[in-house]
Amino acid sequence: MTAARPLGGAGGGRPPRSQQRFLRFLRANPLIAAGGAISLLILLVALAAPLLAPYPADAGSATHPEIALQAPSLQHLFGTDQVGRDVFSRVLYGARVSPLVALLVLLLACAVGIPLGVIAGYFGGAGDEAIMRITDVFLAFPSLLLALAFAAVLPPSLTSLTIAIAITWWPWYTRLIRGQAASVAGRPYVEACRALGIPSWRILLRHVLPNSVTPLIVQVSLDFGGVILTASALSFLGLGAQDPTPDWGLMVAEGENYFTTQWWLVTFPGLAILLTALAFTLLGDGLRDVLDPRRVPLR
Amino acid sequence: MKLEIRDLQVRFGGPAARPAASVAGLTVDGGEIVGLAGESGSGKSMTILAVLGLAGTAGATVTGSVKLDGQELTGLSGAALRAIRGRRIAAIFQSPSLAFNPVFRVGQVVSRTLRLHGLSAGEARERADAAMRSVLLSPDLLRRYPAQLSGGQLQRVAIALALALRAEVLLADEPTSALDVTVQAEVLELLRELRDSRGMAILFVSHDLAVIAELCDRVAIMRSGEVVEQGPTGQVLAAPRHDYTRELLAAVPRLAGPGAGG
Amino acid sequence: MAGEAMLAVRDLRVTFGPVRAVDGVCLEIGRGPFGVALVGESGSGKTTVGRAILRLVPAAGGTIRFEGQDVLGLRGRPLREYRRAAQMVFQDADNSLDPRMRIGATLGEVLRAHGPAAHGPAARGTVGDRVAALLREAALDPELASRYPHQLSGGQRQRVAIARALAVSPRLLVLDEPTSALDVTAQARILALVRRLREQRQLAYLLITHNLAIIPGLCEQAVVLYLGRVAETGPTAGLLARPAHPYTLALRSAVPEVDAAARRSRIILSGDIPHTAAPPPGCPFHPRCPLAVDACRVTVPPLRTVAPGRQAACHRSGEVLAGLRPSDAASQLADELP
Repeated sequence: MTAARPLGGAGGGRPPRSQQRFLRFLRANPLIAAGGAISLLILLVALAAPLLAPYPADAGSATHPEIALQAPSLQHLFGTDQVGRDVFSRVLYGARVSPLVALLVLLLACAVGIPLGVIAGYFGGAGDEAIMRITDVFLAFPSLLLALAFAAVLPPSLTSLTIAIAITWWPWYTRLIRGQAASVAGRPYVEACRALGIPSWRILLRHVLPNSVTPLIVQVSLDFGGVILTASALSFLGLGAQDPTPDWGLMVAEGENYFTTQWWLVTFPGLAILLTALAFTLLGDGLRDVLDPRRVPLR
Repeated sequence: MKLEIRDLQVRFGGPAARPAASVAGLTVDGGEIVGLAGESGSGKSMTILAVLGLAGTAGATVTGSVKLDGQELTGLSGAALRAIRGRRIAAIFQSPSLAFNPVFRVGQVVSRTLRLHGLSAGEARERADAAMRSVLLSPDLLRRYPAQLSGGQLQRVAIALALALRAEVLLADEPTSALDVTVQAEVLELLRELRDSRGMAILFVSHDLAVIAELCDRVAIMRSGEVVEQGPTGQVLAAPRHDYTRELLAAVPRLAGPGAGG
Repeated sequence: MAGEAMLAVRDLRVTFGPVRAVDGVCLEIGRGPFGVALVGESGSGKTTVGRAILRLVPAAGGTIRFEGQDVLGLRGRPLREYRRAAQMVFQDADNSLDPRMRIGATLGEVLRAHGPAAHGPAARGTVGDRVAALLREAALDPELASRYPHQLSGGQRQRVAIARALAVSPRLLVLDEPTSALDVTAQARILALVRRLREQRQLAYLLITHNLAIIPGLCEQAVVLYLGRVAETGPTAGLLARPAHPYTLALRSAVPEVDAAARRSRIILSGDIPHTAAPPPGCPFHPRCPLAVDACRVTVPPLRTVAPGRQAACHRSGEVLAGLRPSDAASQLADELP
């Protein structure tokens, strides 16, 4: 009497069908496809930089003043900078720096922001109030200025940069997930768990968190681009990466004075920043569409 | 015959697909209530949508004939259908709050609909008030927002709208399933009144055989998209010919206790 | 102790701000197998009573005793013990299961949360075995453990909810409208399941419903609520056959019947159920009551015994019990209460 009658969606697609579904999925979601492709490209470049760069030493402390400020040519695709380093190699190696910083920043922000937000949303009351007031304080400042303030206090380095931006970033995530967590906390299945005597920490971890985290996923991927831009801006101001680190923002800063005559010093790193930010923004936009609960599910 | 359905088939996904709803022949005359009984997935709601010409928006293709007073409805243009929908064929659904935009007062929705069908502001006002009184609601309630009215009240306003439009046919899709039992009794009584004093043709869809038994003059039993049995209610329920009808009857809870009746 | 009830609720009051959702409700549930029906419509407070019993909402007053022990003051370990002994099957089966967890995981989680010592007959074998046993007991194919809630029908989801509640071998089960959202055949299956479990597990349960028709055969006692107060209470058979309160009369007459012979003349109540935030003075039912007299508008009728084992809160309950019926079944223009 109880042969299961699954309503809607098969029980589980095995490999060949999921491959087909994946391809169909990509075609139906060009944003994710484009963003994902570019992100993947950047990741590959970052990993393979030592192999791809014609002058890997230039990404380090090597300098060649005798070939400084040369225009793009066959030997130096993006030209050379003011101390003769190959810009192409440095841009390639830069793919290791900025995205890594962004990743660390976002991980830190999530590590701090998510637990605080989930606890605030689920338990409410005085704890919620306290946490929200703290986030209010942080959010009252424009994030760039706040990051600047922190970075200025710490000795300039990539680590300081990462910490400074992470500090200004976590309140957004707390806010975002708190609303979701509060909404999930009121749902019947959570109430059922409480009635069943399931301990709070388990409810938070296994029910509230997975059901609140969706908008955050989208936001994080959108923020990737934002963090890269912020990091570049701070490096540009001299508060992050220091020479000879091939950070794109730093390269733009260093090339600033030469912009009108030796345009390649600024343009190529700038394009790299643009491309990376674009890739993750596209990915985030696409993810938001896909995870929208009002969409007909792809299952 | 007020409403005549013949060889109606509603399909999703191509002409070879199995129909979600298939009605060989069903008629509803003025002054009678015909019930369409079945469980979820039986196709009864799809049938209602098809009669209203709305099955297309759900992605289905409809073949067959639906005639109102002899006039064929399938294949009519959008504008022609809109003139008929609401005005001559009205519908009420299980969740009355879905029919009313929560940011507008209920009266605004009613008067706007009336005016869209050609009435002047004054006429709309009069008809709306009269209709509200017919459903035993004070016309003052029109000034409220949907959230300020109970489910039963909202459902009666939806019926009032059908009355104000002087609709000849009323399609009701589980209109009382979400209501308390005493409120349900009132709404059913109201439907009986509409049938008797106004000669409305009512097609009543429900999974509750007991409600159908009390309300409907004739009944069609649907299962998995097909009509398996139909006829005068008393006859079908007293002497069911199809196994499924018997199964449904056996499952209906009875106040006299399990096993009572048959 | 033979005479002592398993669950005794006295003068329970629950408020949500100014709204008195539950205003002085008393009920008793005997040792299993025993079923009590809590009957009422919107605003009656029936769901709130169930949730208060399980400590899901705070009580503003009154006492609840389970097996002699006060429930409202429990904290920590004793509270968790109570939450094992008393379980709830929620109204909204569609939403009472986490949509992101497979059925097996949902059931397994409950088993793990209460530790191996907590389980009765199903306590052998691995968690997977026990999950399968629970599913089978609820008349479900154990294969369903690998599915997600949205892949099950409404009736199946409701049975999973019941299986989950049974996972910790409770002695008291609160079923909140277990059949309201279901088709009539699924409904029949759930009721049959409850009947079977009642015998197999010697369950005591509180069946919360607005549908009088599902009570016979399942519940020995019935309590009828209106606007947060008890209208009448007594053995089911007697209460349904000879009501002592006009509201019960109206409720009973409103139940649609398939068999023409079983139908009675309709008592149509005027108006709608008033908002619980502004209850009428005197008897809460008087604005809609076809038998109301002057006393009803002024004094709140106390709940008192009108026959052996029967209590009712109505100034005219004696007459109703003796057969008084409203002579005029027609509706009147509703005087809407704010």
